[in-house]
Amino acid sequence: MTSWATEHSQAGTVFQSQRFGDFPTMKEALIARKIDATFMIAPLAMKLVADGVPVKIVYLGHRDGSALTIAKDSSVQRFEDLAGKRVAVPSRYSNQNLLMRRMMKQRGMAPQAIELVEMAPPDMASALAARSIEGYIVGEPHNAKAEIGGYGRILYFMKDLWPDFISCVLVVRQEIIEQRRPLVQELVQGIADSGAWLDAPEEGLDHRKRAAEVVGKLFYNQDPKLLEHVLLQPDRVGYSRLVPPKDTFDEIMDLAVESKVIERRMRFEEYCDTSFASAMREPRPLVAFPPSTARTQKP
Amino acid sequence: MNTRPVRRYEAWLLPLLVAAVLLVLWHVYSWWTEYDLTTTAADGSTETRRIRIFPTPFDTFPALVELASDGRLLRYTVASLYRVLTGFAVAALIGIPLGLWAGWQKRVYLAINPLVQGLRPISPLAWIPIAVLSFGIQDEAAIFIIFLGAFFPIVTGTMTAVQSIPLVYVRSAQNFGVTGFELFRRVVFPAALPQIITSLRMALGIGWLVVVAAEMNAVNSGLGFLVIDARNMGNRYDLVVAAMIIIGVIGIGLDWAVRRLELLDEVRWGFRK
Repeated sequence: MTSWATEHSQAGTVFQSQRFGDFPTMKEALIARKIDATFMIAPLAMKLVADGVPVKIVYLGHRDGSALTIAKDSSVQRFEDLAGKRVAVPSRYSNQNLLMRRMMKQRGMAPQAIELVEMAPPDMASALAARSIEGYIVGEPHNAKAEIGGYGRILYFMKDLWPDFISCVLVVRQEIIEQRRPLVQELVQGIADSGAWLDAPEEGLDHRKRAAEVVGKLFYNQDPKLLEHVLLQPDRVGYSRLVPPKDTFDEIMDLAVESKVIERRMRFEEYCDTSFASAMREPRPLVAFPPSTARTQKP
Repeated sequence: MNTRPVRRYEAWLLPLLVAAVLLVLWHVYSWWTEYDLTTTAADGSTETRRIRIFPTPFDTFPALVELASDGRLLRYTVASLYRVLTGFAVAALIGIPLGLWAGWQKRVYLAINPLVQGLRPISPLAWIPIAVLSFGIQDEAAIFIIFLGAFFPIVTGTMTAVQSIPLVYVRSAQNFGVTGFELFRRVVFPAALPQIITSLRMALGIGWLVVVAAEMNAVNSGLGFLVIDARNMGNRYDLVVAAMIIIGVIGIGLDWAVRRLELLDEVRWGFRK
């Protein structure tokens, strides 16, 4: 998405992207002002604001894009069967964690019925293979990894549990929002346009295939097949409707306060700035994404 | 070397002074990394806030109080001490006999020493995935990491201790007709004991040093876990620093306790040079 924004920048802006292996390091880089914007799990961004870190959520990264994976030979058939079992979540500040709590509530289960443990997403598939957990709920491609590896199966996609699930959001430092509005605007527009490109009704699948190739090689050093597996099932992850919706965020906030992940309830405006999303023109897939020139250099 | 006698009060005043200087430097650093942020509201009014990146000593003290009052301080300290002492005890139970044997039998030494020296420099951090794969996410995985940290210094220290016993001790004992296990029990072991205790002290220090690594993934209690856990929270670096301080203070306590061992009559002679 940042490469797209760079490729199509009218002003010649280069958005330099940087991959982090874990959220704490990324959070520290953000707090220490070493990075200006980041994709981060939504409740963690809200928690940062609650703890006085000057950042705002300005846009979403994607919709859905997670799944609840269980061991292939597991006896679990439906959500309620997970009672008494151990399920890994990426962080307590993840929407996956809040979703598990929301589901337990909806299905009339006790809040502690499922044992939720925090685990770094890259470790989840191997923990499942070793059967130290019954299942895990996390963003892709970690579900596809167990699926393709042959030791995991997907119990639910997000569309079955919480349609239009919000996982990662675009977080920008307040200082940048104040001082470099056009830059942030350009980034948001670029993300929206790249989303439209990936979700294009006609050539969307073709675009996703190329995106899997480029992203797999250039940024994540992951098997493009893994990413392709996910991206080519369009209802597994979506890149449209990325304006932060107040009602969903209010619900996330309620769940976060209820499960004591965030101490105080905040108003939507305290942690979200939708002005860039409002000022944006209609997202459109401009031209083809040229993989050969995608780059990650310093501005 | 300055031979002026150390006055009694200097022994506690000097370290306190150095600690005070460090606290001031820490505070200045936190203050130096602060910055002003001016935000403009929708109505055009501006507001300036001072943003702190780094917790100061004054932020850390309430964090210590918070940990003490909600019971985490005691619970986590007990959990960490239990893991470190268990891992250390297992390391000593296996490491001392093995070290004695290898120190005494040249062939055993030749067989295991290269392996011990090869495994010793591998950071316990590198063993985490193997620990989790073998022991799952529970106490045993953390204890295993601590065991690894403590085991190699004990084996190496004990081997060296036995090897450096003056040959004259052994020869004279043999002349008096002491041989076999008796020789080992009455001459070799006591002669090596002071150095073995020194290696135990080092090993316990290393065991405590790796507690953060050991408690990083597998468990959900302990001071090492507290560091990792607080780091995962939003902006609770005050808790991270508080945990670091607690780990340091307990480290001093552990070292002090093992030093008491060195003063026991049975081993005291070894240190009188």
